[in-house]
Amino acid sequence: MLKEKLNALLKIDRRWIFLGLAVVLFGAIMRPLGLINKKISRDTQNAYDFIDKLPAGSFVILSLDYDPATSPELNPQAMAVARHAFRNNLRVGVVTYAAGATGLIEQLFSVVPAEFKKEYGKDYAIFPYQPNAIATLTQMASDFYGIYDKDKDGKDARSLPVMRGVKNYKNVSLVVCIAGTIMVDWWVQYAGDKYGVPVIAGVTAITQPGYGPYLQKKQLKGLMGGMKGAAEYEHLIQTPGKGTSGIDALSLAHVMVAALIIISNIAIIILKYL
Amino acid sequence: MKLIKKNIPLAIVSVFGMLTLLTYFVPHKHSVNFLEAMNKWENIVSAFAFFLGLVSLFYSHYAKISRKADGWGYSIFVYIGFLAIAVPAYVSHGKNMDGSVLTFLGWAFQYIYNPLASTMFAVLAFYIVSTAYKSFRIKSPQAFVLFVAAMFLILGNVPLGQMIWDKIFGWTSYAISDIVDWILHVPAIAGKRGIMIGISIGVIVTALKIIFGIERQYLGKD
Repeated sequence: MLKEKLNALLKIDRRWIFLGLAVVLFGAIMRPLGLINKKISRDTQNAYDFIDKLPAGSFVILSLDYDPATSPELNPQAMAVARHAFRNNLRVGVVTYAAGATGLIEQLFSVVPAEFKKEYGKDYAIFPYQPNAIATLTQMASDFYGIYDKDKDGKDARSLPVMRGVKNYKNVSLVVCIAGTIMVDWWVQYAGDKYGVPVIAGVTAITQPGYGPYLQKKQLKGLMGGMKGAAEYEHLIQTPGKGTSGIDALSLAHVMVAALIIISNIAIIILKYL
Repeated sequence: MKLIKKNIPLAIVSVFGMLTLLTYFVPHKHSVNFLEAMNKWENIVSAFAFFLGLVSLFYSHYAKISRKADGWGYSIFVYIGFLAIAVPAYVSHGKNMDGSVLTFLGWAFQYIYNPLASTMFAVLAFYIVSTAYKSFRIKSPQAFVLFVAAMFLILGNVPLGQMIWDKIFGWTSYAISDIVDWILHVPAIAGKRGIMIGISIGVIVTALKIIFGIERQYLGKD
């Protein structure tokens, strides 16, 4: 009897699992538990500290390379970093090598700069999507305007006050790459390692473990991983956003996965000795 | 014919490949100028590659529809999807926002592309959970190691997992975040570094084979 029940449990219709997860996520979104991160991870703290120590007026490249698929994890990171940069009066140049990111960038920058009374052209600029990232990254080493001669609206990039004194990587204090693609590797390899530009990254939780070698050798000065990284950064800048509110759903879903895996293995062990 | 189809492309790849490689080691003005010209060309050629990909996509789906192949109905949505973004992009001159107001393209992006792409990715979560339940079973010592590492990472990555750990294993004086840090910064890095070195050697060898004309598959069959 028990054997049959355990076998049935192991072969449960996956639609029941789908339903369980849907209920858990829906419940967490409708009634947040208000869970908070007890400990800020070392890599997120390093990212925050590096940006925080930049002198006002430093020019930062924000490379936002994610599309709507990964935006729930990465958009909160981008918003938090942009808020931190504007709060510290840094100059921001936004670039992208993901075609699907252009709309997200415009939406993000229609909200965040206004919170700090920042003006387009004076405090930040957005550059158009470029199809070949490696060529663009290499080009920026000698002359930024060799590729980005115009901004997204077709204005002469050299004439924008935010670009004053910026010719190539020598004039860039930091690159923050928030990406759901391979762009972080390329920024490290083609800009960070070769020209000494500090690079900080924001990546999805699933890809986060792969960036360990860069962090260990300080090729990355800091790293935010997934929604947890976003929530940590939001906590550091004391501006809760979607990262913080999403952490409840993330928590419950993670615990549900762990519980299911443990249950299935306990069932197998019992079956083995029945 | 062989000259145009084979010899000239091989010579172009070889000469420009070697020159571009040399620019990495020669910081002279001419070298930088050459690299800048190559970068611009590369960007232009990439844009054409997108166009070629689009033509190929349309052609293959047109063939599927005309043959009434299995699932041909889905191919119609390739054209509908293309038009749903391309027409607004043309009408809005490629701009998502006009001041603080969404343009037609911005609307299409926010209310068509954004939810569709997010949904596709979100559906993955359901499959991951059900697959984890069905396949994450300890059947060997290696699977046990993977299971233990996965449990630490799953629980250590979220506040609720940390709370559960503290309740059950708080007496050990080990925080789960410390264990996760160790997994990520010691065994995970060792594995990842090995993979990265292997990939890099592969990339170098393939690049040299292309430059010296040993690898010719990119030229096509005839």
